[in-house]
Parts: sequence; structure tokens; C-alpha cells
Amino acid sequence: MQEKNNPLSPHLQIYKWQISSLLSITHRIVGVINILAVTLICFLSLSLLLGAESYQIINNFLKSFFGKFIIIGLCWTFSFHILNELRHLAWDLGYGFDIKVAKITGVIALIGSFILTILFYLIGKNIF
Amino acid sequence: MHASTKKWLFTKISSFILIPFMIWFIMNFVSIYENDYQEVVFFFTQQPTKILFLIFIVIAFFFSALTISEIFEDYIRNEKTKNVANKLLNIFAIVIPVLTIIGIYNLS
Repeated sequence: MQEKNNPLSPHLQIYKWQISSLLSITHRIVGVINILAVTLICFLSLSLLLGAESYQIINNFLKSFFGKFIIIGLCWTFSFHILNELRHLAWDLGYGFDIKVAKITGVIALIGSFILTILFYLIGKNIF
Repeated sequence: MHASTKKWLFTKISSFILIPFMIWFIMNFVSIYENDYQEVVFFFTQQPTKILFLIFIVIAFFFSALTISEIFEDYIRNEKTKNVANKLLNIFAIVIPVLTIIGIYNLS
């Protein structure tokens, strides 16, 4: 099979970093992290078949500081992906293409992801 | 319809459907991750959480297969390597949800 010499994108080493490119690459990284996390959760559900004693190891890990850190991190990756995906869907409908609007929605998605992380965690923990 | 248009449409429809499932799942996962074995089993085996979780993973893996293949398109230059990566990705996106569905039905 012939190897094409088409340039690969995006040219991270060439273009100057901006909010749009930063969010675009973060969206991809976060998407991959999310599906890896969902895969681990699938394995967690399968580990339940091994019984309560085996699950205790996972339970102890999730209850630890590192476990909590991962769960809060997952809340953020989900939050960011949801908000940035909504931004992409708006673009697909033809809204928000103006550079200024795209920058504003980018900042909203980024700041909003941290707010949504707190909300998800607090609602999940029944603190509200 | 062109194959690329079809892929784009499937990506957009699945991402739109996935958003409420992601919100539902993350809040519920936060509520159960510290719980003991019986409560976690209860979450994965009782309705409607069982069916919602299974729909969530099927859509999530379907969406991820479509979108990660775009990452391969952008970053893998060699066509042969790209084809292998896409095939592995598709196998992964089918095998993991199927195993999880079988596992959860055996759990209950």
C-alpha cells in the first residue's frame, strides 16, 4: 500500500496556541480519557461477578484519597466533554462561528466545566 | 448518501443522545462509588439503572469508535497502520459492551 505524504493535522508545533486550538486538542484527549474510564467501569461491573471479597480491593482503592481524586477528575472530564460537545453541536447547527463568539463560548465551556464538576459531585453525594 | 456524510450524521446523533446519559451516569457513579458490594450490585442489576447503564455504554463505545477513528485519520500517516488501528478500535468497541452486557445479566 502506498504511503501518502499528506500533512498531518493539527500542526501543534507550528501554529500559535489559542483558546480554540487548546480546547480542540483538550476535547480529543478528554474524549479518549473518558472512553478509557468507561472501559474501566465496565471491568468494575464485571469484577462484581468475582464476589464481595474481590470487590473489597477496588472499594478500598475508590475510598482512598487517590480514588476520590480520580472520581473528581472524571467529573471534570465528563463536564468538559459535555459542554464542549454542546459547543460543537451549536456549530453544526450554524451558530457561534464568529471568532469572538467562538472565543467566548470556549471560555464559558472551560470555566463552566469546573462549575459543572462541583455540581455533579455535590448532587451525586446528595449534598444539595 | 456518501459514507463520510453518514459517518458525520451518526457521530452527531450519537453525541446528542450521549449527553443526557453522561450526566445521568456521572451523578449516579459519584453516588455509588464508595458504597459496599451489595449496593453496587443493586445499582448494576436493578431497573431502570441496569438498562440505562447498558444503553449508555453501547452509545459511548459507538461514539468513541467513530470519533477516535477521526484522530487516527489526522495523526496516522501510513494507510496500513491506520486500517489495523481502525479494525482494532471497532473490535474493542464491540467486545467491551458485549462482555459487560453478558456480565451484568449473569450478575442478576
